[in-house]
Amino acid sequence: MWRVIILRRVRAAAGVRMNVRDAIYIGLLSLPLVLIIASLMIGLYTISVENVTRALLSPVFPDLAAGLTQTEITLVQRIRLPRVLSAALIGATLASTGVAFQGIFKNPLVDSNLLGVTSGAGFGAALALLLGGTTFLVQGFAFGFGLLAVSLAYLGSRLYSSAPMIVLTLMGILIGSFFGSLTSLMKYVADPLNTLPAITFWLLGGLTGVTWDSLPILAVLTVLGGAFLWLVRWRLNILSLGDAEAATLGMNPNHLKLGIIVCATLMTAAAVAVGGVIGWIGLVIPHAGRIIVGPDHKRLIPASLALGASFLLVIDNISRTLFPTEVPLGILTGLIGVPLLIGLLRRNRTGW
Amino acid sequence: MKWIPRFSLAFALIFSLTIGMASAQDAPFTVQAAEELRPAITALHTALYGTAPTFVDADADLLATNDRTVLPSGFIGVPPHFLPNAFFVTRSENAEKFVDFAVSPDGQQALIDAGFLPASVTIVDQTGKTVEIPQPVRRVITPYSIATYLVYGVGAADRLVAGGYLGARDPIGAARMEAIDPRFPELSQYVMTQREINVEEVAKLMPDVIFASARSAWLDAIAELGIPVVLFQGESPELLKESMLLVGQVFGPNAAVHAAAWVDYYDGIFSRVVEKTNDLTDSERPRVLLVGENALRVISGDMYQTDIIAAAGGQSVSAALTGFWNDVNLEQVVLWNPDVIVIVPYGSVTTETITGSAEWQVISAVQNGRVYKMPSWVAPWDAPVPDSALGIIWLAQKLFPDRVDLQCSAEAVTFFKTFYGYDLPQDDITAVCGAS
Repeated sequence: MWRVIILRRVRAAAGVRMNVRDAIYIGLLSLPLVLIIASLMIGLYTISVENVTRALLSPVFPDLAAGLTQTEITLVQRIRLPRVLSAALIGATLASTGVAFQGIFKNPLVDSNLLGVTSGAGFGAALALLLGGTTFLVQGFAFGFGLLAVSLAYLGSRLYSSAPMIVLTLMGILIGSFFGSLTSLMKYVADPLNTLPAITFWLLGGLTGVTWDSLPILAVLTVLGGAFLWLVRWRLNILSLGDAEAATLGMNPNHLKLGIIVCATLMTAAAVAVGGVIGWIGLVIPHAGRIIVGPDHKRLIPASLALGASFLLVIDNISRTLFPTEVPLGILTGLIGVPLLIGLLRRNRTGW
Repeated sequence: MKWIPRFSLAFALIFSLTIGMASAQDAPFTVQAAEELRPAITALHTALYGTAPTFVDADADLLATNDRTVLPSGFIGVPPHFLPNAFFVTRSENAEKFVDFAVSPDGQQALIDAGFLPASVTIVDQTGKTVEIPQPVRRVITPYSIATYLVYGVGAADRLVAGGYLGARDPIGAARMEAIDPRFPELSQYVMTQREINVEEVAKLMPDVIFASARSAWLDAIAELGIPVVLFQGESPELLKESMLLVGQVFGPNAAVHAAAWVDYYDGIFSRVVEKTNDLTDSERPRVLLVGENALRVISGDMYQTDIIAAAGGQSVSAALTGFWNDVNLEQVVLWNPDVIVIVPYGSVTTETITGSAEWQVISAVQNGRVYKMPSWVAPWDAPVPDSALGIIWLAQKLFPDRVDLQCSAEAVTFFKTFYGYDLPQDDITAVCGAS
């Protein structure tokens, strides 16, 4: 909130009247920060706000650790912090790559799984679980097979010279459903007593086991990828106009599209490898973003980064504190997100 | 569908005649038996050799009795029962073949023909369904992979024609199972799970009875074959004991006595632990967290594993959860703060997975070095299988090393000898059970 107030003062001083839409936009961008701090205070194990703050700051100011139990320090620093950060990164990734894919494919009903990255990752994880894999193996397989699926779709589309985007879409759907069948095969041959529940739970998404070990690759890929999407966001507007118009404006639309696909795929594969298949966010958060800030990608990309991060933070807080048992994220995103979106639609009965 | 039993009957008749003729030259042996047992023994002997046996009053090659005190000292196991209350003790190897015959389906058939055993048994399975099963049962299939071990436990594994084998998927489990039963590769070659079975394959196998889980997906299709199906659901000690006794009833007197012996053994383990721990208050009982294929996947209160922990004198911290395996987060584990963590025998989680993790160091089980991986031989000792008696022994030994005098490796040797008829390699089982 302070950012809003300061900006208002600055703009007021400059004699520029700030409209409500700008205020909402700025507020939205600062929301993840507020939610990250709030999320760190929440958990099944009760730790006071003061102690959480002291535990968070103690690596910098060691004096603050006095009086804290080792349990409190471990929970805040090693359990809550990596989990909250990964929720924010994954939410931001899924939503922003959803916007990017919807922009370059000129289709509001797709997300970054259009080319099969999530389906491939799902198969990789199921295979690793079937082999009795460790967390590391599951994440590695998920990431690798996610990239493999998209590579196959891309190579497949190169077999045809005309209408590359349509062929790429078709190939993505084919490869995605192929890996979907392979995942079903893994579930079919899995031991129904032990391995099958593990695969099912992974396919519903969850951040139960996240520690600092899972974070570096996720953070590097999503931060770099998010920065790339942020930088090219205005070009997405031109791409949405169509290839001919983009070429007229001096852009090579195919290079940019390929760049965005590679970037979004790496981000999504990293997100899915850590969080499992968390459906719904990539498809619907972009629409929520459009309702709030409008269809201009210049604002839509930052807004969807912030909105996706905030949404998954809220969902994950519910998932980890509602019951002693973790509630899979894939269940909550739909159950909570759909009523929210319908509410937003009612308030803004405007065109897209 | 009446042709199936008739066909197998004709087959069995030809088979037993062939055996009868081939063994006509066997060395004779003498039999000592009480007057009331003699007609049944005569029926068996006549069916196998075509002649009446030679009864003597002392120093016989074969003794028929119901008096366990005549068993040689150091005898481990259950003696072969040809009638519910009479068994054989062999004193000469000439009689061994006869004893094998007496407890085989053919011997059972001879006793049925002579009116000493019923021609069919009627049981009520664990869903409350009444099932009539013609005797003897020569061929059984066990798509319920837990029931496979019940069949081994009652000493009727020779009648298995196909089944699922829990815990025998990995190479170690498979090799051990093949050492116990050389027919294992042949019996386990079919795809049989709760979700999946090939009905035509089952028809081809011509089983006399099918042991299935009550939660099997294909029960309606199998019912079309007209083969008796016995349904099981064993997620508690009481249900496990009941299912063992049901399996015993299906295979005749020798199996029924084995089943009762297992129930006695199992109850005995419980009472031996209770005896040493009943003075403990609830707060003194170790609080145990049992985790599955993932360190954060824990048991619910509805699962058999909760009963194993209770039987061993502990208490499950996750008993309030319901359903099947539950995924939890580390904050919940910190709230429970278990004294002991037990990892199931299967899956990739090792004690190092937990003790080597920085996050788990705040849990008291980790601080006190009380994180254990449950052993198993073939069937996992945490599942509702006969072997779970060993799981209780092992856990009791871990929870109360000073109080409970049970020894996992010694008990395992006795258990496998008695219920699998198998001599466990002593060194291997000591390694499996771990140092006491």
